Amino acid sequence: MSLLLKNISLPLADFSLEAGFEARKRITVLFGPSGAGKTSLLDLIAGLRQARSAFIQLDEHVLTDTARNFTVPAHQRGIGYVPQDLALFPHLSVRQNLLYGSKSAAEDSHSFTFDRVVEILEIQSLITRGVTGLSGGEKQRVALARALLASPRLLLLDEPLASLDAPLKAKIIPYLIRIRDEFHVPMLCVTHDRMEALTLADEIIVLDGGKVLQAGAVLDVFNQPANADVARLVGVETLQPGRITNVNDGLATVKIGGATLTALASGIHEGDVFVCIRGEDVSLQHDVVHATSSVRNRLLARVISLRNEGALVRVELDAGFQLHALITRPACAELALQQGETITALIKAPSVHLVPR
Amino acid sequence: MTAEEWQIVWFTTWVSALSTLMILPFGLALAWLLARRDWPGKSIVETFVSLPLVMPPVATGLILLQLFGRHGALGKFLHDTLDLDVIFTWRAVLLALGVMSFPLLVRSARVAFEEVNPRLEQIARTLGAGHWRVFCTITVPLAARGIVAGMVLAFARALGEFGATIMIAGNIPGKTSTLSLTIFQDVQLGQDAHAFRLLGISVVLAFAAVWCSELLLCRKTKTL
Amino acid sequence: MYFSFLIKRISGVVMAAVLFTAASLHAAEVTVFAAASLTDSLKSIATAYEKQSGDKIVFNFGASSTLARQIEEGAPADIFFSADEAKMDGLEKKALIDKATRQSRLGNVLVVVVPAGSSLEIKSACDLTNAAVKKIALADTKAVPAGVYAKAWLEKQQLWPAIEPKVVPTENVRGALAAVESENVEAGVVYKTDAGISKKVKVAYEVPATDAPKISYPMALVKESKQPEAGKKFLTFLASEEAGQVFRRFSFILLNDR
Repeated sequence: MSLLLKNISLPLADFSLEAGFEARKRITVLFGPSGAGKTSLLDLIAGLRQARSAFIQLDEHVLTDTARNFTVPAHQRGIGYVPQDLALFPHLSVRQNLLYGSKSAAEDSHSFTFDRVVEILEIQSLITRGVTGLSGGEKQRVALARALLASPRLLLLDEPLASLDAPLKAKIIPYLIRIRDEFHVPMLCVTHDRMEALTLADEIIVLDGGKVLQAGAVLDVFNQPANADVARLVGVETLQPGRITNVNDGLATVKIGGATLTALASGIHEGDVFVCIRGEDVSLQHDVVHATSSVRNRLLARVISLRNEGALVRVELDAGFQLHALITRPACAELALQQGETITALIKAPSVHLVPR
Repeated sequence: MTAEEWQIVWFTTWVSALSTLMILPFGLALAWLLARRDWPGKSIVETFVSLPLVMPPVATGLILLQLFGRHGALGKFLHDTLDLDVIFTWRAVLLALGVMSFPLLVRSARVAFEEVNPRLEQIARTLGAGHWRVFCTITVPLAARGIVAGMVLAFARALGEFGATIMIAGNIPGKTSTLSLTIFQDVQLGQDAHAFRLLGISVVLAFAAVWCSELLLCRKTKTL
Repeated sequence: MYFSFLIKRISGVVMAAVLFTAASLHAAEVTVFAAASLTDSLKSIATAYEKQSGDKIVFNFGASSTLARQIEEGAPADIFFSADEAKMDGLEKKALIDKATRQSRLGNVLVVVVPAGSSLEIKSACDLTNAAVKKIALADTKAVPAGVYAKAWLEKQQLWPAIEPKVVPTENVRGALAAVESENVEAGVVYKTDAGISKKVKVAYEVPATDAPKISYPMALVKESKQPEAGKKFLTFLASEEAGQVFRRFSFILLNDR
């Protein structure tokens, strides 16, 4: 699926949204802080909003071309939309909600049969109920099913996990993955949450101030932010793929590069993960590898580079994997750090964040 | 209660009901436009719609008399092309009731439409529903209580209409005599007992209509 | 010498002042409830009377039936000038008028009027039953004198059942006139005096005295009047030759002329 957006100019309260990108992978995440114009962009793609200037093309169909004064009306675009407030129709039952869009479903939508969608999203028991009594997670699944049953070519999701608490997030994420894998519907998600972006995205587009700052595979963007703005937004200093080899007593053993780390195993099982460590959580000390300390992760590392960032110094280390640390300048002076020097990096187990892949 | 009195009650009731049904499509369309769209001159339209509510009913009746009289812009057209007379016929009663109760319907329906979350309408569109389907399956059902309350209010207003009616329909026995007109005439003729009987019926009808309207509104606020 | 001249002058001024105050103290406001058909003639008479007497005349014109009803309910009228005896009788029965002051001096003629531009020809009462006449405006035949008279005339011609479905009743006789003027009806039955003041209608048929009921306009002082003296004075003027000339000018019939 290719979604092409060019020459978008949408006058919003503060600025003009200019975004052009091609989204080809299966789940694309539009990532940026609140107010970056993400919801407006989704509205534009769905045909619910007009722009001063826009060119939108989905696969080989042109949906909007202001230069030729051409626009396909929203109800003919075949683009599903799950808004942040879910917008379930309160006067209809769950079944009626689900079937609302299915009249206009495409003929070749054998994968979108009612029973299949209901089964995959596990909402069989909710069919006969009214909408108002459902829990947050149930409403989410019904909204997803409803959008799917219209056999969309593209599914837009506005902050799909925003209003859910952590346990519920963990429960919904698999359903979203299932949608991608079972129904092969390309999805465009919008979020301001880094963890959500990491979990869902095949491809990520970073948006701020109405502009696309960077687009690409999620690891590339997080590890090699194009500029300071992206880095600030992305905000994770160390992001590496790893593998959980053992889970015992609430703690997980993670193999990452050439090193092994101990992390908290909150609802996580053995398998591939991303390991995220914030620079502020990494302490540096000379000669402590054999001392007794509460810190579970003590790694010998070689200093690759030092970079001043205001009152802090960013230290890039090789600890068997690329590790970033942020320490104050006085501390750096005290340690008399130099490039090529060996030092011990200390990371507490709770500071090693694991994100399932 | 004589046959004549029953005729008056029956006539008043059915012509009020018919006038309410007649203004319903126009009222809903206008209410939707006022709720969902903006255009230059919108405030002028709003003012015009509210005029029959604020102007003295006889003044509205006078305007209708000018428009639909034999020499009026619309009256002449109807007479010449359709051989249809409005003034002093039951059609004039229908017209007077419709015009006077129109603002009440539009106001209630507009508020009802404004309270429908536009997001729901938008999502319905993304599910493949065209504007008309969205209106029928989403907007109107969600606004239903307010619309029905507006209809009941319009009906009650039509039941009690006097000023414009007497202006353009007169009080022709058996043809345009409504409850209000008959009560007025009875008092003039000194037939108080008769007038009081009809007054009683008017009160009962109006009470029932307004009570229904309140019920509907109460239920609406309870479910919120 | 100069002193006595001064005295004369001052007493003259004082006299004038006293007389003036006396006159204004006695300047009364007389309220007259009168049938609608008397509107133009009475206004003309009142203007002349006000100049002569210094009194002020205030009018309330309407259907005699409505006015009688208002007087019954205690409306502040000094004089009642009705278009038929029945309404006056009704008030007399209830002892609301001063019997001694009651007199009937005016009559009138019924006419059928059509819009000024109409080509309709009414040569007899029968012509009103033609299909070309779709609606006929009459003052309400249940109580308003003009309507009562018109119905009596048509009943006497045995045409009432045929004409009744076409009738558009109006609140008073001037309402019937207005209906014909606006051309919302094809014809109307009003007084000759009403037809006379309107340029937008023309008389199509004058009801002969033999066919029409006796039309008579009684006037009387209302018992509860607050200005009985001034009221009686005006009644006297209304019965005078000067007023009679005005009535004749407006095409009223003076009963003692017959």
